Amino acid sequence: MSRVWSQIAVLAGKDLAIEARTRQTLGLVVVLGILIIVVLGLGLGPQQMAPAPAPGMGGAAAAGATPGAAPGAAPGAAPGAAPGVAALWVAYLFAGVLCFEGSMAVERHDGALAGLLLAPVDRGVLYLAKLVTNLVLMLVLALVLTPVAVLLFGFDLSPAPGSFAAIMAISFVGLAAVGTLFAAVVSSSRLQGGLLAMAIFPVSLPLVMTSTQMLIRLFGQKSASGLSGLGILLAFDVIYLVAGWLAFELVLEP
Amino acid sequence: MDSTKRLFGVLFWVFTAALFAGAVVLAFAFTPDEATMGAVQKIFYVHLPVAINSFLACFVNFVASLVFLWQRRRTWDDLATAAAQVAVVLLTIVLATGMIWGRSAWGHWWTWSPRLTLSLVLWLLYVVYLVIRPSIPSAQRRAVVAAVYGAVAFLDVPLVYLSTRLMPQDVHPTEVVLAPSMRLTLGLWFLPVTLLTVGLIIVRRRALALQSQTRAVLAAAENDGPVPATIHPTGGVL
Amino acid sequence: MSTLSINPAQDWPAADTVTAPVVQTQGLGRVVDDRVILRDIGLTLPRGGFLALLGANGAGKSTLLFCLATLTPATSGRLLLFGREVKKDAARLRARIGMISHQAMLYRDLPALENLTFFGRLYGVARPAQKAAELLEMVKLADWRYEPPKNFSRGMLQRLAIARSLMHDPDLLLADEPFTGLDVRASRQLEDLLRQLHGAGKTIILTHHNIAQSLELAGRVVVLRRGRVALDAPTGSPALAQSVEEILVS
Repeated sequence: MSRVWSQIAVLAGKDLAIEARTRQTLGLVVVLGILIIVVLGLGLGPQQMAPAPAPGMGGAAAAGATPGAAPGAAPGAAPGAAPGVAALWVAYLFAGVLCFEGSMAVERHDGALAGLLLAPVDRGVLYLAKLVTNLVLMLVLALVLTPVAVLLFGFDLSPAPGSFAAIMAISFVGLAAVGTLFAAVVSSSRLQGGLLAMAIFPVSLPLVMTSTQMLIRLFGQKSASGLSGLGILLAFDVIYLVAGWLAFELVLEP
Repeated sequence: MDSTKRLFGVLFWVFTAALFAGAVVLAFAFTPDEATMGAVQKIFYVHLPVAINSFLACFVNFVASLVFLWQRRRTWDDLATAAAQVAVVLLTIVLATGMIWGRSAWGHWWTWSPRLTLSLVLWLLYVVYLVIRPSIPSAQRRAVVAAVYGAVAFLDVPLVYLSTRLMPQDVHPTEVVLAPSMRLTLGLWFLPVTLLTVGLIIVRRRALALQSQTRAVLAAAENDGPVPATIHPTGGVL
Repeated sequence: MSTLSINPAQDWPAADTVTAPVVQTQGLGRVVDDRVILRDIGLTLPRGGFLALLGANGAGKSTLLFCLATLTPATSGRLLLFGREVKKDAARLRARIGMISHQAMLYRDLPALENLTFFGRLYGVARPAQKAAELLEMVKLADWRYEPPKNFSRGMLQRLAIARSLMHDPDLLLADEPFTGLDVRASRQLEDLLRQLHGAGKTIILTHHNIAQSLELAGRVVVLRRGRVALDAPTGSPALAQSVEEILVS
């Protein structure tokens, strides 16, 4: 068991050492993420995201969250939660896909993947190590993108920063579990990059739906249904971690 | 043997068509119009059986994908592909009828109701399945990747369903109260739709099997002798 | 299914490692998309052997080597390495196999020393950094240890790849077209290295296009033609080059 952990550490450490040297994935991904948030902000129009109440925007939960309409609302309840959360998720998804692609591309050059496959390492360990790499990359990504979205969309994290971080962390595990598997498929089959987004997005929709609904409720005044949402997120994580771990060996090809 | 098969096939389709005709007659001539929605309500007789059969097709894809990963026989890959093709066709019908229904019942073409959303996500999943396949040149590789995707995609179904229930409004009828004659009509509609689904999957599977056989013959023509039987049907796993 | 794992408690029977042939195949075959890549390969290579695998492009040399490296599964027949069934023991056997190919199998952005140290850790080598430094010395790249391989010439890259393949001190070294893209000097250096390794007791299998060079290096030659073994002979007889060439041309 300890051997598995140390192998994961060695493999993920190698990926992060390369990333620290080249910064080729993170540089791209962070800029793309910021761009997406800005584009969505402009596309939605400034009047939709101003701190003033924005009725009729982004579903019932957000509209009902206007402070005037709900006297019992938390003082910091942000009217812009729904568009802000949606924009964040779109940015995470697209930038996340590039993370998965980038961390797998490292293995594509000079037959490096064959070098890994030659080693006496369980293929499931290779999967978990890539997953750890992807999660670290996404963590850095989130640390940059979240403040940008908070600023531009004027929504306020302060009522529940811990819950926000927890929901996002659990969602990222699921997203990376799917993304790591499909990135290996796309890379080993030498498919075009666009297909990776196509494969990941529909599968991760329950994750996106659940997590956005939870966040909208969290930052609106309705704080119900936290547990069932959490259950879905955790179920997603477990199902796709196991599926990825089992299937990784089938899709890897030197 | 071959002619018996063909005869059976013709009988199957004639029977299915006859059932369809009967079902249409039953729906329009013998079942009363629904009080509030009128004739548009009859779309329900198509919508529900097709929806349930589209899940059936997805499930066939799932099972065939798993069996392929276990046995590595091409016939399971053909079955999975056929099921995915039929599933996409049926899901398209589900979405179309659902939208028409929504338009006349609630005045919107699209509502993010849990079941419509589930159908939409399923449609996306299996369209992607069909789009990814042709982009992988090697038949063997394509089959493995598609099977992995098929298995992963179906695991999504319960999660999608649960997560749609978190969404705010729900206008979809969870409990439909039907007059006895309506229930009879609905029941009868299930028969031809299910037969059509099964028949389409079989026909598509056979067409795909023929294609892969042709490719196999062409590929084998370049070989120096016959293709030896593989003794490790589980292939990929060392 | 990820069922491969390493169990140090269950060790090799001592007899296996000494007496069993390093490579033993029976009726080995591989079929991809109904094309027969390998057919009925029967090979036995004793410990310390040096085998040159020749054949035209597409004859199946690389596939055979990838099968021996446990990277690609055979679809029929048996493959035993060190007397062990590969299907059952792949993970453990990998620890005894080293491979180089025309691809370096290295991370182009990671400095040479870090590259080797990484692979050493992956194989569970004791004191990987020290071992890496020693091997860099051996392949005459010690001065370039902090340089990433993307700045290396072909010859340097190939030497670094050899160092990588030796990090875990493998008993069997598989070399898939290692001379590709090397100039005369680098090619000579690689030859010397291979001789040196063979002299140190390693079993080597080499695929190559140059008949004369292969016959000179190896003790035995196997020629593949359309996935079959067309010739299997010890080197040394003067007429051999002629008959190898005839098979390759036909």
